[in-house]
Amino acid sequence: MRIVYRYLPTLSLIAMAACLPLVLNPRGNALRVAATALLFAAVAQAWNIVGGLASQISLGHAAFFGIGAYTSTILYLQYSLSPWVGMVAGALLAILAAGLLSVPTFSLKGHYFALATLAFAEVMRVIANSWVSLTGGPVGLTIPFGGSNPLLFQFRSTAAYYWVILTVLVAICSVFYFMSRGKMGYRLRAIRENEDAAEVSGIDTFRVKLWSAMISAGLTACCGTVFAQFTFFFDPDSIFHMSGISIRMAMIAIIGGIGTLSGPVIGALFLIPLEEISTAFLSSSAAGVAQLVFGLILIVAILIQPQGIVATWPGLMQRIHFRRSH
Amino acid sequence: MSFIQSLIDGILIGGVYGIIATGLSLVFGVLGLVNFAHAEFLMVGMYVAWFAWHYLGLDPILAAPLSFAVVFLLGYAVQRHLLDRVMKASPTAQIFLTVGLLIVLENAALVIFGSGFRSVNVPYQVESFRLAGLFVSAPYLYAFGATLVVNLALWLFLERSWIGRGIRAVAQDPMAAILSGVDSKRTYRIAFGLGVGLTAFGGGVILPYITVSPTVGGQFVVLMFTVVVLGGLGSILGALAGGLAVGIIQSFSALFFPISLQNLVLFIIFIGVLAFRPQGLLKGA
Amino acid sequence: MFAPLLVAEGLTVRFGGVHALDNVSFMAGEGEIIGLIGPNGAGKTTLFSSLVGLQSLRAGRVVLSGRTVSGMRPHRIASFGMTKTFQNTALFPDMTVLENVLTAMLLRRDLRSAKNEALGILDRLGLSRIATRDVADLTFPQKALVEMARALATQPKVLLLDEVMAALTPSEMDEVMQIIRELRDEGLTLLIVEHHMRAIMSLCDRILVLNFGQLIAEGPPRKITNDQAVIEAYLGHGATYGEGLADRACHAA
Repeated sequence: MRIVYRYLPTLSLIAMAACLPLVLNPRGNALRVAATALLFAAVAQAWNIVGGLASQISLGHAAFFGIGAYTSTILYLQYSLSPWVGMVAGALLAILAAGLLSVPTFSLKGHYFALATLAFAEVMRVIANSWVSLTGGPVGLTIPFGGSNPLLFQFRSTAAYYWVILTVLVAICSVFYFMSRGKMGYRLRAIRENEDAAEVSGIDTFRVKLWSAMISAGLTACCGTVFAQFTFFFDPDSIFHMSGISIRMAMIAIIGGIGTLSGPVIGALFLIPLEEISTAFLSSSAAGVAQLVFGLILIVAILIQPQGIVATWPGLMQRIHFRRSH
Repeated sequence: MSFIQSLIDGILIGGVYGIIATGLSLVFGVLGLVNFAHAEFLMVGMYVAWFAWHYLGLDPILAAPLSFAVVFLLGYAVQRHLLDRVMKASPTAQIFLTVGLLIVLENAALVIFGSGFRSVNVPYQVESFRLAGLFVSAPYLYAFGATLVVNLALWLFLERSWIGRGIRAVAQDPMAAILSGVDSKRTYRIAFGLGVGLTAFGGGVILPYITVSPTVGGQFVVLMFTVVVLGGLGSILGALAGGLAVGIIQSFSALFFPISLQNLVLFIIFIGVLAFRPQGLLKGA
Repeated sequence: MFAPLLVAEGLTVRFGGVHALDNVSFMAGEGEIIGLIGPNGAGKTTLFSSLVGLQSLRAGRVVLSGRTVSGMRPHRIASFGMTKTFQNTALFPDMTVLENVLTAMLLRRDLRSAKNEALGILDRLGLSRIATRDVADLTFPQKALVEMARALATQPKVLLLDEVMAALTPSEMDEVMQIIRELRDEGLTLLIVEHHMRAIMSLCDRILVLNFGQLIAEGPPRKITNDQAVIEAYLGHGATYGEGLADRACHAA
């Protein structure tokens, strides 16, 4: 009973979010924006596992996002495999890629690690652009719509996508929550705060970082599959885009509050609608204005409140709550 | 013959990469931070040179010093108003401040100049000198020559001038430099301005053979980091040698790979060097 | 004679062209307290770092309980029973004192039983009162003691203490020295870097003297204080030992 009470606020928030399609026009743009915001919240939370919890700043998570999108779509288009299966395959592939990338890069600190991940995403982009027989090259891939079919991850109504995305978000947030607690939570906090001290205290920092990198990559790939199914089209330059994907997911987590559970959600709910609104008003006049505003927000956020929105007032409450629970 | 031809092309292109990357390396060496926005200053430098050519009729290579000057001032201001505040902050804050700067500069250019490509018309654009059956491209050669002059000037500045010595002192030991009376904040600002200015100069001299657009920086990001990492972050001579190496690698890989895969070769070298020798290949053990 | 629990053979570390450690060899038996002294920059902290695996060796070997541990990562060396404290402290700043200690117990236990043991360690070091405080709010001497508590939480056989007594008052120092003796009596082997000569001289069974990365003398405290090479290292050629050695060393701290 006590557990139910403790999670009650969170559960009721999720329930309220689940009811949103009943209120909004199921075919309308507002629901689409809401679904997009939740999808970016999910992917930012996946980034937050490695960037926030393990403090490894990745600027190349688009690599895993794209791996997820390409794997499920290629499997569907060429082998008629359901994207649900492709989602699992994409996640496994991303986990493998993250593992292989981690071996040489985890000894790199801070800036160097960011550089290596950035280059990795570029490698993926170049490969996707040039391996035309597999990926379709620069033209990108289009998923033909064959009518609503839940087994093939295709829906006519935006509401269905919205619910799928909400489920994915809740799942990723749960993974984040459980990793940030218990033994794993202690290990990750120790690594974040002082890696050498964590090592001599008996923590296998490499293994912990490897786990979080692989979990993060796998979940990011799942979001990639969802993105592909949701948009029906993507190409190498958009899916592996540095500022559009890699930096955006990191930025959402940072502006919301890096390393916190609610940060990516708050960040996405703040940034994505803002972006949608500004594009709606300005798109025809200047494509760059929305992005320009984004960049300015990032700079101001770093200079004024590096801990993110969460740290202002709700973060304070959460901190107190967190302390007591120990 | 194509071997020597590639070598010549590689050296000429690589020399310019050298000056572009020297700026990045200088910033890292003195300020200790990786400037992810660095390639955007190259873009700004290219636009400055393009406008100088378009409105003043100045040859881009002669306009390159103007690129340097304008971007130097821009860099000085950026350091003074933005980067100064995160010099002691966490790498996360430093990384994302420069990333934010990247986004702002790229999109500001998009808003101001539009997304179109702009190129210059100069008489020597397609000329080349013939030498024993080899071609030496005129724009490559002039650009290379201009970077040699700047390298010499940079060397003189760092060795002889009072400010240059301060910069070197801060790079070697910030604490000792401050104790011996170097104004570290001012040194940081000048070094950052100088770093982005040198890269902008490189942007000016390549304008005869590369068109400019707001996203041109993206083409150079990984390239310039590869150069710097090859030579060892923070090392100026390393950046020059790394530039030559990357130029030659690029020009040789053109012999074996389709154009689309040329960058892949660079990226793989980049990740490899980062992973196995982050202190740089060309730095002694 | 002690059974050699820890054997270091020919440890060599280089930074650039400089020998930070040059062919340093020594042994430590179970329940022994060994002092490590030498002028600033002599390589004391480097020696500690290389023993626990934080600093890679150019040459040499470290054997702990008959097992070669050099080349292993620090967390494995810690699990085999050797860890160290950090000289200007390297605690987890956003954690409480108790959480800092708990973190070092994850190797072995579930959190519930670990908590009681952690409280026991804190009690022993007189830190129970501040168990729930953030370490960021502590004074330097308190932080040094938390370092020690965290290191003890890994259940070491060999514990390397890097200046945990710096900035303690004389009476606090006596308490810590008493705790160190008790730990020794329980069979723990301790290596101690300390600038307080009084502590070193009264605690240690044996003293190693480092200068410019080389081991220049080794022996019981009485012998070390009369060793000509040691006196020269501290005071320069021609000096004789008097109160000077202790004074000079305290100055350095």
